[in-house]
Amino acid sequence: MREAIDNALRGTYRLTVAAGLALGSYVFLALVPLAVVLTGTVIGAGTLPETVLVLRHLAGFKRRQAAEWSGVEIPEAYLPLTGRLGERVRTALTDPQTWRDLRWLVLHLGYGLGLFIAALVVWPFALLVDGAWSGLLGQRPVLLPQLDRLTDLDAAWSRALLTPGPGRSAELAERIAALTATRADAIAAHGAELRRIERDLHDGAQARLVALSMRVGLARRQFDRDPEGARSLLDAAQDQAEQALAELRQVVRAIYPPILSDRGLVGAVRALAASSGLTVAVEVDGLAGPDDPRPPAAIEAAGYFVVAEALTNAARHSGANRAAVHLSRVPRGLRIVVRDSGRGGAHEAGGSGLLGIRRRVAALDGAMTMTSPVGGPTTIEVDLPCVW
Amino acid sequence: MRVVIAEDNALLREGLVLLLTSAGHEVVAAVVTGPEVLPAILEHRPEIAVLDVRLPPGLRDEGLRAALDARRKIPGQPVLVLSQYVEETYAAELLRGGAAGVGYLLKDRVGRVDEFLDALERVADGGTALDPEVVTELLTRRRDDPLESLTPREREVLKLMAEGRDNSTIARTLVVTERAVSKHIGNVFLKLGLPPSDSGHRRVLAVLAYLNHT
Repeated sequence: MREAIDNALRGTYRLTVAAGLALGSYVFLALVPLAVVLTGTVIGAGTLPETVLVLRHLAGFKRRQAAEWSGVEIPEAYLPLTGRLGERVRTALTDPQTWRDLRWLVLHLGYGLGLFIAALVVWPFALLVDGAWSGLLGQRPVLLPQLDRLTDLDAAWSRALLTPGPGRSAELAERIAALTATRADAIAAHGAELRRIERDLHDGAQARLVALSMRVGLARRQFDRDPEGARSLLDAAQDQAEQALAELRQVVRAIYPPILSDRGLVGAVRALAASSGLTVAVEVDGLAGPDDPRPPAAIEAAGYFVVAEALTNAARHSGANRAAVHLSRVPRGLRIVVRDSGRGGAHEAGGSGLLGIRRRVAALDGAMTMTSPVGGPTTIEVDLPCVW
Repeated sequence: MRVVIAEDNALLREGLVLLLTSAGHEVVAAVVTGPEVLPAILEHRPEIAVLDVRLPPGLRDEGLRAALDARRKIPGQPVLVLSQYVEETYAAELLRGGAAGVGYLLKDRVGRVDEFLDALERVADGGTALDPEVVTELLTRRRDDPLESLTPREREVLKLMAEGRDNSTIARTLVVTERAVSKHIGNVFLKLGLPPSDSGHRRVLAVLAYLNHT
């Protein structure tokens, strides 16, 4: 009997805390509209993230309470409230857990208080009934243990309401899978690129230089006996040298176009536009002027090849005579939009370089979308995430 | 001729000095960085300046900018710009102030010593020397058009004109008579609807303007 009362008291203590939390939540909820109104004014915008932080603390307290009672941990998953004010406000509002917490808070007003009142109502009966049944007749207490069921209910409901949504962990799992895949792609693409460069140099410039050296050697041997023959060997050697240089230029251009390092992305894209054979309008937003810091080389190179491929396709396949390129620096990185005036109907599978571009963009964790309805126009949008 | 050169690679700089000296020219200054170019040209007033596009300190396009500065300060100052690779954009920037006394060639061309010295003198005399690679680029990107109606021989003549060659050189290159060249040029101008023009840099500009217009 004594033990049963102690147990029941422990459970009821939890319910009392829950009721206190619910009462505190009433006060908090009364303040939420104030925070919302203040967020509307510029100076008060900081109150919203703070309010969400308080909400997180309330929910966290309940999670610990329920976990201590039931012995089952309730996981916590929040988006970090960091960065500039606007970013914090946005995160606070877009984090789905904010809304889940709020829903819990409102329902808890009901069940937190309700279970506590139920416990208060049951107590006198339990003491009377079990006092007679257990205390006088020596039987096992019946009603007092039921008080714990009320606390169990509180813990179970809280767990159901406060466990992070499957959406969140699914989203994270998806993100990890995507990152793993693009990382593997990036490593594979990098390896393939190195092999291609090695092969190009080996079969091209290197082989030509060997042949050139042989011809010069032969010309030396022949120089005294047959000056005319030596001359023609030297001519051939010079041809080889020029071809080797031409091939080296091509290899270099494919690795990192020299004009990119000379003029940066904007200058290089303007050069592409001028030599595309189309009338191309280039628009630039918030991107580095000549003296500002430039995006990382990999981003610039990817951006350059995106524009180059898009303009080549527009000129070759779309029948367009005009195109527009828009480069903009956005909070999450670099955004490129290329639109042509052609007949549309472009397919990535159509043997164009679009697939290569998609891989290049994906390797940098970027995204590419192409819309090309039959009849046109074709629009290619690429987002390359980066901070610079 | 008195020549100022700007080239940061010691091997190539010495090679150029050797080549120019052995051809009887005088290298009055051989500078290494971009900011040194303009003072050297202003001080020595050379008959021609031979400039590498990429020069320290930035290793970007300092040489090209120096060439443009020099031509702004001294209108008509002949400059021959050399580079490991050619860009249409750079050619356009060089030609914007007129094609007289402008050369833009791949460094590879220096190896063909006679042709290089020929181009050097042509530019110093107020002519034009445009790298065949730039011209080929201009020719291949036009898709429409009257260019299609040119015979292969007329295309060759057009290409050489755009590079800045005069009639006698074109005749020698194609192994035909100068009369034949004149006839081809007449046909080219007729087919492209260009006003006939003498053989100087104005002709180069007219041809390039046509090729550039899309």
